[in-house]
Amino acid sequence: MKIQEKLREIARKLLAGGEAGVVIGYAAGSEVSRVVPAFISREEDVDRLVWNPLCINNLVKYLLDYRHEPGKVAVVVKGCDSRAIVRLLQDNQISREQVIILGISCPGLINPDLVAARLDPEAQIKAVTTSEQDFSLQTEREIFTFTRDEALLEKCRYCEHHTPVISDFIIGEEIPPTTPLDPFTAVKALEELPVEARSAYWDKQFSRCLRCYACRNVCPACTCRECIFDQAEPCWVTKANNLSENMAFHLIRAFHVAGRCVDCGECDRVCPVNIPLSLLNRKILKDVKELFNVPTPGTSLEELPALGIFTNSDPDEFM
Amino acid sequence: MRNCQCINPLKPYPATIIKIIDETPDVKSFQMVFDNPAVMENFRQKPGQVAQLSVFGVGEATISITSSPTRRGILEFSVKKVGMLTSALHRLEVGSKVGIRGPYGNHFPYEVMKGKDLLFIGGGIGLAPLRSLIDFVLAEENRGDYGKVEIIYGARSMDDLCFKYDILDRWPQMPGTTVYTTIDRAELGWEGHVGFVPAYLEEINPSPENKYAITCGPPIMIKFVLQALEKMGFADDQVITTLEMKMKCGIGKCGRCNIGSKYVCLDGPVFYLSQLKRLPPEF
Amino acid sequence: MKAYIMTGDNLGAWLDTLARDFTLIAPVKEEENVILFKPVKGFAEINLNYTNSTVSPKGWIFPQTEEMFYFSTAGGQINLTDVQAPRPAIIFGLRPCDIKGILTLDPVFNGAYPDPYYQNRRENTILVGLCCTRVERHCFCTSMGGGPTDGRGADLLVTEIDGGYGLEALTSRGEELIHRYQGYFTPDQHSRVILAREELGQKLAGQFTRTVDTTGVKEFLDQNFELPYWDEIARRCLGCGICTYICPTCHCFDIFDFAPDGERGVRSRCWDSCMFSHFTRMAGGHNPRPTQKERVRNRFLHKLKYHRDRYDLDGCVGCGRCVTKCPVNIDIRQIIADLQEVAQHA
Ligand SMILES: Cc1cc2nc3c(=O)[nH]c(=O)nc-3n(C[C@H](O)[C@H](O)[C@H](O)COP(=O)(O)OP(=O)(O)OC[C@H]3O[C@@H](n4cnc5c(N)ncnc54)[C@H](O)[C@@H]3O)c2cc1C
Ligand code: SF4
Ligand code: SF4
Ligand code: SF4
Ligand code: SF4
Ligand code: FES
Repeated sequence: MKIQEKLREIARKLLAGGEAGVVIGYAAGSEVSRVVPAFISREEDVDRLVWNPLCINNLVKYLLDYRHEPGKVAVVVKGCDSRAIVRLLQDNQISREQVIILGISCPGLINPDLVAARLDPEAQIKAVTTSEQDFSLQTEREIFTFTRDEALLEKCRYCEHHTPVISDFIIGEEIPPTTPLDPFTAVKALEELPVEARSAYWDKQFSRCLRCYACRNVCPACTCRECIFDQAEPCWVTKANNLSENMAFHLIRAFHVAGRCVDCGECDRVCPVNIPLSLLNRKILKDVKELFNVPTPGTSLEELPALGIFTNSDPDEFM
Repeated sequence: MRNCQCINPLKPYPATIIKIIDETPDVKSFQMVFDNPAVMENFRQKPGQVAQLSVFGVGEATISITSSPTRRGILEFSVKKVGMLTSALHRLEVGSKVGIRGPYGNHFPYEVMKGKDLLFIGGGIGLAPLRSLIDFVLAEENRGDYGKVEIIYGARSMDDLCFKYDILDRWPQMPGTTVYTTIDRAELGWEGHVGFVPAYLEEINPSPENKYAITCGPPIMIKFVLQALEKMGFADDQVITTLEMKMKCGIGKCGRCNIGSKYVCLDGPVFYLSQLKRLPPEF
Repeated sequence: MKAYIMTGDNLGAWLDTLARDFTLIAPVKEEENVILFKPVKGFAEINLNYTNSTVSPKGWIFPQTEEMFYFSTAGGQINLTDVQAPRPAIIFGLRPCDIKGILTLDPVFNGAYPDPYYQNRRENTILVGLCCTRVERHCFCTSMGGGPTDGRGADLLVTEIDGGYGLEALTSRGEELIHRYQGYFTPDQHSRVILAREELGQKLAGQFTRTVDTTGVKEFLDQNFELPYWDEIARRCLGCGICTYICPTCHCFDIFDFAPDGERGVRSRCWDSCMFSHFTRMAGGHNPRPTQKERVRNRFLHKLKYHRDRYDLDGCVGCGRCVTKCPVNIDIRQIIADLQEVAQHA
């Protein structure tokens, strides 16, 4: 809970001093296993802010809603989320002066389904401790312990940047960049399959897509003023929900975010029908890394998106 | 188990364009007849109702039937070119095939209006829906049922006046009918009134006595016309307007034309100001 | 109302037969944590270990994309061809909330202009309900006037009982189905089925973790359109289509033409959502619901007020799908509770 206290303290100061007009963070959700994005603009609401291992949402995209408003916006980011800040800065979507980055050194999050399965939905988390081995959530009545092995959120198992890559405040003890498990294990397994099997795999995934566009709407690399999937003229992809149109949607989107996707995992999280979108995006990430020898997009402000710049040494396998 | 034998309200009837009139640089009027004479015969619209026009391969749009029901055997639509379907319509020629389904929506309360004077206030293409009622009232068989008819109509420029043959020639010659026309800015060759419709309305200052005011036009014009009418003493249920919302089905199913719990396609497009005031301000 | 009993073993054989004689739609485990209602070839594909499907089964009566008719404008002539009427179908395994969802859609697609596509599918589809055997933490059907064993609206209602299944024919169609396959069933002489269902209902009633009280909420909304509360909720909404696409009662659709060669094509309709910004955006750019605030308000007002105004039915059946799937935890149960609190302070 030290992080939460520190976060509230900073937020309170920022609001009291008028330095920030709003603090975007997390608050308790409607059930114990969930948190909600919270937009705190009054000092007396600061105590709604929480930090616990259920704070999965990447809040960075909400910064776009404040682009045309006066005043500064403070936003809570984890390591992975911080790459999205770099994304928006490089895409000139936000200005560095307008945002105050409250970076949390994040030891990893917990799979909310496990919390939902074990805790009473109405319970409230009073304290949290995380250690190398486990997470303990203390509610009014009990302490629930989850081992990291069972409960660590999938994306956190591959985490590169526990500590934000860009920030104005670092809350919590800095955790140096780690060499995580190979994030491309699943991609490699898929690459091993014969082309028919791969094709069948993706057909099955894409055929159940609802085209709800949650994956696009949550994505920090999707910032077009008018998305081509919303355009009626010219009509690139019709509204019909069938495999061919769904496939077109997914492939076009994958290429639109190629070399720009910061691998925050939000598309995976929001998809209501569990389409493994980060598997697709990671395949492209892997290719981009191999072809251009670049770090994960968003790692540093100086490193521009591989496909957004041109150098004479670029491999030209594609063209 | 049986298959539904009901007629399919979502399937248009084929029709042919028999005449096209260039009204303004971006408005054309289309006269159409159904290819099946029985469909033409059974199509009984009321003044103020709309139809869904189809250009197959492009889509559909909601367009007011501007011709009066008293004019049998054809349907007339005036269409402003603003987007995909309306542009496609503008590209068609006499003899081209389209689809029509309808009529949809409620209609002007022409029964209730009997015995009253009528004041029409229109702007731009907004005259199109009013015109169905104007011609209905002015038709020989109905003229006796209504009192004086006043028409105030305006457009941005001379070029933008729709139905010039009606407003400048035909209607002014009808018994008991006065037409006031205005354009926004002075122009060479224009000898009539210059100024915005709401201001002209205040100048003319018609009395609300035994009268209905019916208005349609751009939202900003409607807003100021309603204010002017209120100032002149028109009660909310003497004022009638038509609303526009994005529409697809036209029959209360696709869910997008709602204002509160009212569907404009079923419960509108014609509303008394008194009804409008009870609706949430979402139009 | 007649009841019948079927042994556990017979269920598979009966469903295999149904799959042969009809298009059988049943719950299938598509992927980890994804249950979808899909056409199946037999019992082996069906997954009965589910509380509710990920997407509501309404899509078999109101498909996400439905071809309405084909057109041809070749040679300057218009030819419109109807699509083939769907084959008779049976949906097996509908949970009570989803049956109620269909009853909620019925008046929309009836009325002054009966919708032939919906009607056709509705009339050609037999609904076989399946009582719930457990309650999930997002379920709140009892708060919306339904219940986990309340199968009203189904043609046939199936309840798991000791050693097999109980079946109650609620309509003549359900009765016909029993007759057609009578070899699989024995009449229930001792009201075992009804007793078992009632007992199950009582047991499950105590398992709801969260109930909501809608009393006075509609009346409050009747008087209060403008509330700062909607700003607060909408701020975090992503404007995606999840909540409306998975919902058993949402009925909004778009209509579009597809004619790759310009002459021959098809007019279809597909689900649309009031949460999308272009849903109400008109030619020229005017949008009567310009921000997410108006859209979020529209959705909840539709669920809690507009549907009641028009059809005298709640627009929400308490299936809880949007509760679990909304990525930013916009929880209709919380909304109802909050509105009630605001109402009390108003
Ligand atoms: C009750 C009513 C009466 C109307 N009467 C007329 C008339 O007499 N003459 C005229 O020119 N226009 C009229 N309109 C407006 C006309 O419907 C739109 O301009 C037209 O739909 C735009 O279609 P589009 O394909 O060219 O535009 P796009 O922007 O390409 O629109 C795509 C689709 O969105 C829908 N849509 C977009 N804007 C509107 C809108 N304003 N109203 C309804 N649906 C919309 C349509 O389904 C359209 O096909 C009326 C609208 C309503 C609601
Ligand atoms: S979130 Fe999932 S269902 Fe929705 S559009 Fe994206 S992939 Fe499709
Ligand atoms: S609003 Fe949500 S809980 Fe209610 S019926 Fe729809 S999906 Fe289910
Ligand atoms: S208006 Fe919105 S909430 Fe209502 S049925 Fe349509 S999509 Fe669903
Ligand atoms: S309420 Fe939730 S599910 Fe619905 S549009 Fe908003 S973010 Fe998407
Ligand atoms: S146009 Fe579809 S509901 Fe009104």
